[in-house]
Amino acid sequence: MNKQNLLADLHHSGKPYIIYKSNKGFNLYTNFSKKIILNKKNIYKFLNKKNINKKCKKTDLFIGFFGYELLNNLIGIKIPKQKNINLPKGIFYKPETKIDLTNNLNYRNGDNIKQKNNFKININKKTYTKIFDKFKKKIKSGETYQIKICTKYKTSSKINPLDFFCRLSKTNLAPEAFMIKDKNYSIISCSPENLITKKSSLITTKPIAGTVKKNKNMNKVKALNFFRKNLKETKEHNMIVDMERNDLSRICKVGSVKLSKKRVVEEYKDLFHCVSLIKGKLKKGIKNIDIIKAMMPGGSVIGCPKISTLNLLNNQEKENRNIYTGSFGYIKFNGDMRFNIIIRSILNFKNISEISVASGVVVDSNAKHEFNENYIKAKALIDLFK
Amino acid sequence: MIYIIDHNDSFTHNIVHQFSLFDKVECDNYNNVNKAKLKKASIIVFSPGPGNPKDYPITSKIYKEFKSKKKIIGICLGFQQILFCEGAKIVEQKKIYHGFQSSIQVINDKSLFYKGRKFKVGRYHSLKLKEPFKIKNFDITMRCLESNVAMSFENSKDKIYGFQFHPESFLTINGNFLIKKILLA
Repeated sequence: MNKQNLLADLHHSGKPYIIYKSNKGFNLYTNFSKKIILNKKNIYKFLNKKNINKKCKKTDLFIGFFGYELLNNLIGIKIPKQKNINLPKGIFYKPETKIDLTNNLNYRNGDNIKQKNNFKININKKTYTKIFDKFKKKIKSGETYQIKICTKYKTSSKINPLDFFCRLSKTNLAPEAFMIKDKNYSIISCSPENLITKKSSLITTKPIAGTVKKNKNMNKVKALNFFRKNLKETKEHNMIVDMERNDLSRICKVGSVKLSKKRVVEEYKDLFHCVSLIKGKLKKGIKNIDIIKAMMPGGSVIGCPKISTLNLLNNQEKENRNIYTGSFGYIKFNGDMRFNIIIRSILNFKNISEISVASGVVVDSNAKHEFNENYIKAKALIDLFK
Repeated sequence: MIYIIDHNDSFTHNIVHQFSLFDKVECDNYNNVNKAKLKKASIIVFSPGPGNPKDYPITSKIYKEFKSKKKIIGICLGFQQILFCEGAKIVEQKKIYHGFQSSIQVINDKSLFYKGRKFKVGRYHSLKLKEPFKIKNFDITMRCLESNVAMSFENSKDKIYGFQFHPESFLTINGNFLIKKILLA
C-alpha cells in the first residue's frame, strides 16, 4: 500500500498517531499500547524507569511531551494560579508501529472545513509595553539578564491537523517538527530547536538565538555578517551559550563540555538561524531524570538566569503556557533520548487553537520591535488558517 | 577542597568545572550551606547570581566569619558581595554588560598579574562598584579599557580576590590561567 494513502487512512480511522521529523524524512508512530498522562507525582516513577541494556526494538520507546508547568514543578518552581484550560501536564505513548516517511508529505483535505481566522491576542501592545518596561527595570537592577515575554493568539476552530502539518512542512521543513493527533487534542509544530540528543553517554544541545528572514538580498554569508554586527543578537546568543554550557556541566564530566559549533548560520526555507552546538560526556550514575531537570525548560526560550527569570515570568503571566516552551521527544528503553523545545506550534484542544510566541527583553531591546517580532513569528502559523 | 556557594545562577556550574581542573570542588546553594564543608574547605568561592548583595545576608555572614581565615574568591555578584561587606556601595550603571566581551587591563603593580597586561573577558553585570573606593588592603587591580569600571580587586594580605567579569565564560580568553594564578597565590 502506498504510504501517503496509509497516512490518510490512518488519519481517517481516528486512531491516535504521532509524526516526528527524522534525518531523512519523518517517522510515523502509531498503534499505541499505552498512554501515560503525567502529573507532578507520577513523573518521577515514569522517568526513573530502569533502562534495558540489550538491543531494543525501534518501537521500544515512549514518545510524547512535557508541558511547561510540569517542567517547572520538576525543578521545584511553583506556578501561581493561572487561567487554565486543563490540558494534561504531559502525555507519553508507547507505540507498537513505526513507519518511515519521506520529506514529501502529501495529503488533501477532503473534510472541506471552512477555517475561521479571527485570532485574538491576550496582551495588547499597550500592556505588552508596560510589562516590557517593568522587566527592563529588573534587568537594570540585576534580577534578570534576559527574559522572554510570552503572548498568546487564540481562536475557536475545528482543524484538520494532518492537513495543517503537511502544508506547514512544505513551507518550513524544520528539523524538530512534529505533530500529535489524539482524540481530544492535536499539536502541530515546526520547532527548529533541539534541546537534548543523548546517545549512551554522549549528550548535545543546540540552542538557537538569532533569526533573520530570507530574501533576495540575504544569503548565508550576509546572514552571518548580520548576526555578527548585531550587538543585541550577539549578546543574547552568548548568554544562551554560557547558560547551556552550565546546564550540561551539571550532569557532565569535568572538562568534557565543549562548544563544538560556535555561532554558525543554518539555512531554512524562509529564514536563517544563528545556532551553536554544545557537547558533553555524562558523569557516571546520571539518570534521565537528572538530565531533564538540568536541561528543562530549555534556557533559550526562558531567559537567564533560569530560576529567577522563571519566577519573574510566572508571576507575570496570567495564562498557563500549556505545551509552549515545554519539550516533545522520546525516551528509548535503552536510555537514549531526543527532545526539542516546543515553540512555533499550534495546540488545538476542545476546538480552540492557540499559538504562543515570545521574544527577548534584553537591556537594549525595544518594545514595539519585539511586539511586532512576536506577530511575525505567529503569522506563519496563523496563515495556515485559510 | 574548594567550596562554591551558588546564588541560583545559570553560570555557577561552569565555575565548578573550571575550578575542578585544579582541586576537588563542592557546590551548594547559598540557602543550603553545609557547615562541615565550610570548615573543611581551604578556599570559599562566592558565585555570580541575580540581584544585589543586600539580598544575600547569609553569604555576607559567611564572608565575615571566614575573612582572613581562608582564601575567599568572589565572581561577579560574589565580587560585589565581598566589597559590599567591606562597606562599598554597589550601584546601577548606565551601560549594562550582559553577554559582552570587553578588553580589560591590569592597572596596579601590586597585582599577581603583570601591570599593563590585557585580557579579553566575558561580562554579565548590571551593577558595579561605586568609586572612589578606599578600603585598607584592597586594591583595584584591573579595569575595563573602555568604561574604566573596576574589573578585579586583590587583597594579598588576607588572600581575598574578586573578579567582576566571568573567568569561566567562553567569552573569556585565558580564564583558566587567571584562576590558576589566584589559586596558587
